[in-house]
Amino acid sequence: MTSPPNTRPNAPLTTQLLIDLVTDTLDPGYAAAAAKRRSSDPTPRWYDRPAVVVGCLLIGFTLVLAYIHANRGAPEAAKVHDRLVARVRAAQAEGASLAARAQALNSTLTRLRDQAGLGSLSGELDREQLLAGQVAATGPGLEVVLKEPPKSTASPQPGRAGSSPIGATNILTDRDVRSVVNELWADGAEAISVNDVRLTPTSAIRFAGDAVLVDFQPISAPYTIRAIGHADNLATAFASSDVASRYQTLVSADGIGFVFSERNDLQLPASPAVTPRYAHPVSPSPTSTGSSR
Amino acid sequence: MIAAFALVAGVVLGLILRPTVPTWLEPYLPIAVVAALDAVFGGVRARLDGIFDAKVFVVSFVSNVVVAALIVFLGDKLGVGGQLSTAVVVVLGIRIFGNAAAIRRHLFRA
Repeated sequence: MTSPPNTRPNAPLTTQLLIDLVTDTLDPGYAAAAAKRRSSDPTPRWYDRPAVVVGCLLIGFTLVLAYIHANRGAPEAAKVHDRLVARVRAAQAEGASLAARAQALNSTLTRLRDQAGLGSLSGELDREQLLAGQVAATGPGLEVVLKEPPKSTASPQPGRAGSSPIGATNILTDRDVRSVVNELWADGAEAISVNDVRLTPTSAIRFAGDAVLVDFQPISAPYTIRAIGHADNLATAFASSDVASRYQTLVSADGIGFVFSERNDLQLPASPAVTPRYAHPVSPSPTSTGSSR
Repeated sequence: MIAAFALVAGVVLGLILRPTVPTWLEPYLPIAVVAALDAVFGGVRARLDGIFDAKVFVVSFVSNVVVAALIVFLGDKLGVGGQLSTAVVVVLGIRIFGNAAAIRRHLFRA
């Protein structure tokens, strides 16, 4: 091979280096060896074949070694992770479908009860169910939105590969959601939902990992808390509360988002009914087992 | 032809033996892989150019691996191992691309 060398007369050394790198991709040894052989003897040497075999064997071995290593090490963790994610997703889907079924059954139940014609009892039941959060509710009220501060931009120096900078942890936790909810109850709210999860008398607002759990359903920021009640009263009482002033302070200090506004028509979903297993009503009716007095 | 057989034999050998890579060797594995690929593409191109030489093939592979590993080892000791392995991968990667382009020109005349 007698290709003319790709040289520019007055290119600087570094430029020449880069040009060589891109244009002369073949090992120069091949051309040199070919030229030498052409000048001397063209007969194949005895070690040609074994050398190729050994070289290819080595290369194949190296490639498969790396493959096995990459497949054995990190992916084991990834596989476990994938399996767990799949299980969580399946469980979530099952939970959602069960909740949907419960809702459908509940609406059937309501319809049947209406058909049964219980009269005044029916109205009382509706009111109780509304307070228990078992039927969807609509009405005027207040909407409070809590937002995480915008994420700080990543540091310009990402450090060594494989290490990730410590991300900004969530500022808002279950305590914030809880204090807003409690304040709204105290201000006279009649029904509350957090991110479209209806609160019932047995609802708990908790914190697990990075997620706020409302009745074991994970929700994430922004947290939208809707409360049905007398809109003006709610807004006035909430605006003058300690909770509101604390978050107003946090807006300027930490950059969280905190807005609340009166709404004329809030739609709150129903919560799946919880059947009490241990609590029994204390009733004076003679059918009750506990009334032997 | 015999080279392809040997390559497959090497793969099969590795699959059968399933050797565990010692931890001190781990950082050099990616470098060795890139060097091996470079040697393969270089060899194929030289063959198509009609200037293949077994000695150059084997020696270039082994020396590429050794030099690359040495650079990375030195870099690790000096605290710039990651950057130096990137440099090695970039240089060998450019060569692989160039050789692949030459092979393509040989095979498809385009």
